[in-house]
Amino acid sequence: MSEILNFNDVSRVYTAGDHELRALDHIDLSLPAGKFIVVLGPSGAGKSTLLNLIGGLDSPTEGRITVDGRDISKLSNDQLAEYRAQTVGFVFQNYNLIPTLTVYENVALVREIVKNALPAEEMLAAVSLADHLKNFPAELSGGEQQRVSIARALAKNPKILLCDEPTGALDSETGVVVLKLLLKMARERGKTIVIVTHNQNIAKMADVIVRVKSGHIRSMETQEHPLSAEEVEW
Amino acid sequence: MLRRKLFRTMGRYKAQFISMVIMVALGMGVFLGFQMEWYTLDRTSAQTYEATGFADFRVLSDALFTREELEAVAAIPGVTDAARFLKVNVAVKGDADLLGLSVTSNPKVSGIYVTSGEAYDPEAKGFWLSDQYAAKNGVRLGDELSLIYAAPFGTVELTAPVLGLAKASEYMICLQDGTQIMPDYNSYGFVYTSPAMLEEAVGMELYTQLNLISELSKEEIVPLIDQALGRTSLVLSKDEVVSWSETQGEINEGVTMGSILPVLFLAIAILTMVTTMHRITASEKTQIGLLKSLGFTDRRILRHYSAYGLAIGIAGSVLGVGIGYLLAWYIMNPDGAMGTYVDLIDWTLYVPGFCWIVLAGVIAFLTLISFLSVKSMLRGSAADALRPYSPKRIRASALEKTGFWKRMRFSGRWNLRDSLRHKSRTGMTLFGIVGCMILLVGALGMNDTARSFVTVFYDEATAYESKLNLSADENGNEAALALAEEREGDWAAVSSVQVGDAPVGLEIYHVPHGLIHFIAKDMSEVTLAPEGVYICDRIARDNGLAPGDKIRFSPYGSSESYEATVQGILRSLSESVILSDEAADRIGIPYTVNTVYTRQTGIEAGGIISSVQSKQSILDSFDKFMELMNAMIFLLAVAAVVLGLVVLYNLGVMSYTERYREMATLKVVGFRDRQIGRILIGQNLWLTVLGVLIGLPAGVGVLKYLLTALASEYEMKLTLGPLTYGISIVLTFGVSLLVGWMIARKTRSIDMVEALKGVD
Repeated sequence: MSEILNFNDVSRVYTAGDHELRALDHIDLSLPAGKFIVVLGPSGAGKSTLLNLIGGLDSPTEGRITVDGRDISKLSNDQLAEYRAQTVGFVFQNYNLIPTLTVYENVALVREIVKNALPAEEMLAAVSLADHLKNFPAELSGGEQQRVSIARALAKNPKILLCDEPTGALDSETGVVVLKLLLKMARERGKTIVIVTHNQNIAKMADVIVRVKSGHIRSMETQEHPLSAEEVEW
Repeated sequence: MLRRKLFRTMGRYKAQFISMVIMVALGMGVFLGFQMEWYTLDRTSAQTYEATGFADFRVLSDALFTREELEAVAAIPGVTDAARFLKVNVAVKGDADLLGLSVTSNPKVSGIYVTSGEAYDPEAKGFWLSDQYAAKNGVRLGDELSLIYAAPFGTVELTAPVLGLAKASEYMICLQDGTQIMPDYNSYGFVYTSPAMLEEAVGMELYTQLNLISELSKEEIVPLIDQALGRTSLVLSKDEVVSWSETQGEINEGVTMGSILPVLFLAIAILTMVTTMHRITASEKTQIGLLKSLGFTDRRILRHYSAYGLAIGIAGSVLGVGIGYLLAWYIMNPDGAMGTYVDLIDWTLYVPGFCWIVLAGVIAFLTLISFLSVKSMLRGSAADALRPYSPKRIRASALEKTGFWKRMRFSGRWNLRDSLRHKSRTGMTLFGIVGCMILLVGALGMNDTARSFVTVFYDEATAYESKLNLSADENGNEAALALAEEREGDWAAVSSVQVGDAPVGLEIYHVPHGLIHFIAKDMSEVTLAPEGVYICDRIARDNGLAPGDKIRFSPYGSSESYEATVQGILRSLSESVILSDEAADRIGIPYTVNTVYTRQTGIEAGGIISSVQSKQSILDSFDKFMELMNAMIFLLAVAAVVLGLVVLYNLGVMSYTERYREMATLKVVGFRDRQIGRILIGQNLWLTVLGVLIGLPAGVGVLKYLLTALASEYEMKLTLGPLTYGISIVLTFGVSLLVGWMIARKTRSIDMVEALKGVD
């Protein structure tokens, strides 16, 4: 199994005055490519920090992170922007769509930064939103907005899809729909999906489960037979 | 505890708070400065008139006034005081300078205010010289001065020491004649001497004027004077004297200016405040809701947030008072803009009482703005208040159906929708850019117009080098015509006539050498026809006259009147009826040639030449005028740039804060800081393009209004050079780009993680 992501003795320390907070403390981690990975942990465990470091939203204080063979630990701002544009796609709990752009425009905007972006219409059709191209985000339900967010993330054709509590703001029924969609898209397109959540149920669907606590990796296990979304009891 | 929150919130929104304080300070400062300017001039000029006994009426006559005539006029009921007075131009011996020589038989009327040296003494043998002229020409107390007076009866030389330096309200605006528009103390000043010295020098009592102090109106006093003197005389009220009329003009201009610029600034300040306070309270909405849910009463919360407006109002007003004083001082000081024009005894600055009321009103209004902004956020239950403020939902506009929209890139669409979604912010930005543009076009256009005015009236309309002012000749025009012939010159006969009730000039020209050109309204050159008359634009306007109409005018102090056909309308410095000598002969108007224009230079006063004015000295006075103009233009341009910077920066920061999450999203998606920065600058630039398109014609309109309101007496033609358009546009875009760049730089510090944590 080829590895797409390696953390080598990575720490992320936040300081506020004299106070120092070790969000991640000397962690080592290797994640396989093309898998559905769930990072589990309680609040403040460091799982979002882990996701932010993978996504190039933040840089480690110490250590080395390689993504698809590229060291991203010491990249400049512009290089990080280029990395985010080409390599990763983000899906947030709060969707983070641009309210003044239509559904179509929210997805199509990635064409401004990615040369080989996938067609927005196609991506929106894939998330069953072909009829809502001209709607503004505020005119959609939460689940629909999250689907736009997924379409936008996938339109860049990234290697890794990073999802931070993607169902956190949704009811369980809509959450299942979104998860199924994520899984389907990832499997069909061979993407690596990293989901950060504290929802144990989502972990039942994962190929790999990483447990984080107090800035340390507590365990990493591979599930030979993950459950489908329908099989999970929500 | 809430007080701590007050200061911390101010710190959090420091850019907005500082901008609002600056805007209020600028608004109040400009308002106060302009009001102080006219009010100070009003009070200090009144002090100067009072201290030197400025006359309300001047009775002029070709004959000299006797002591008995003075007594007869002084006895008119309603006349408080009276004096016999002399005012003639004399040459300084060995110098090209001229001085207005005055003598008053009663120092309480048309007298002087001695600033240094000996007190005025009607028996003393000496001079009291203009302190400004003395300073410019290095004349000191005790220096001997020789003056040449080309009197009708022969040339008289007066030599005596300078006993004192003085100011005089009769010369408060010290102009040699109507061709000079700014005092130039380098070449022209005034001097007073005692009646005793004048009598000794000329061998008689030489008074050509009776000056009266009276509260009667002109209509009331003229028949009484005619009755007292037993003849019809030319009576000029103070409104017809430069030192009064021009000062009043300045005061009125100040009032007009004070009602345009400050209103613009105050309006922008208040509108910025409305927009900004609403935004701040909107972003504080959850905190407002939190305080409410914690049990704070609405009144307490309202008081807390109203304190922001109050604090801004007080801080801005205190700074504004400082700026106001500085601005007023910049204009109203002996070495400042007004000091070069008006010669006042005192330059203490005064604030009109109503300004303090306006100041208090602005503070109260700003507090009210805060109050109302918070009140709208407090509506409903605590739970309602706790919900974050959400701007109006965006809807597709009609523009989105056009092909233009389809071709537009994402950044353009984003910016346009953002502008439409936040209309008040967009409107204010536009208002700031338009204001900046109006000020720049107005200021630079004023400069262009004044320069073109100087070029037309002095460089193009006059080809002479020397203007010879002649004294009246008992033998008619013979000597004057001979002089014109000898000097290869053109000549003019200038006198006063009445058109309706208004005194205007009557200028009769003979211009075989083409040394004087006449300019039509459309700036083309006109050759005076051998019949009919030409009138200036003001006479045409005031009397509703057009070419082909008949105009009737009568010489002052005469029962004669003449009617003539208006041939055309000319641009003229003075308010005059203009005609050729042939036309005057045909109409039958008698005239006395009193001016000869020649290309020759180096001519000295003497004989019938009472004084010589070089064209250069007139041009020098224009340099003064332009200096004054440039100072105003500099002030306006600085104000425009500061206004643009502050308004755009404030709104730019606001836009940045409101779009922070969206920009963080773009950053996460993979947009570079530069790309996001470019989008922000793009929005500014689009608004600037629109602002410039509106601001250019608006600026021209404001300038047109200002020229009519402030300088109609100069009959200036609105002129705007390409450079003015260029500089105005470049400066406005420069301001916009600079602010855009300053805001765009902030994108580097967008914290994606922090920004995207929040709840939608």
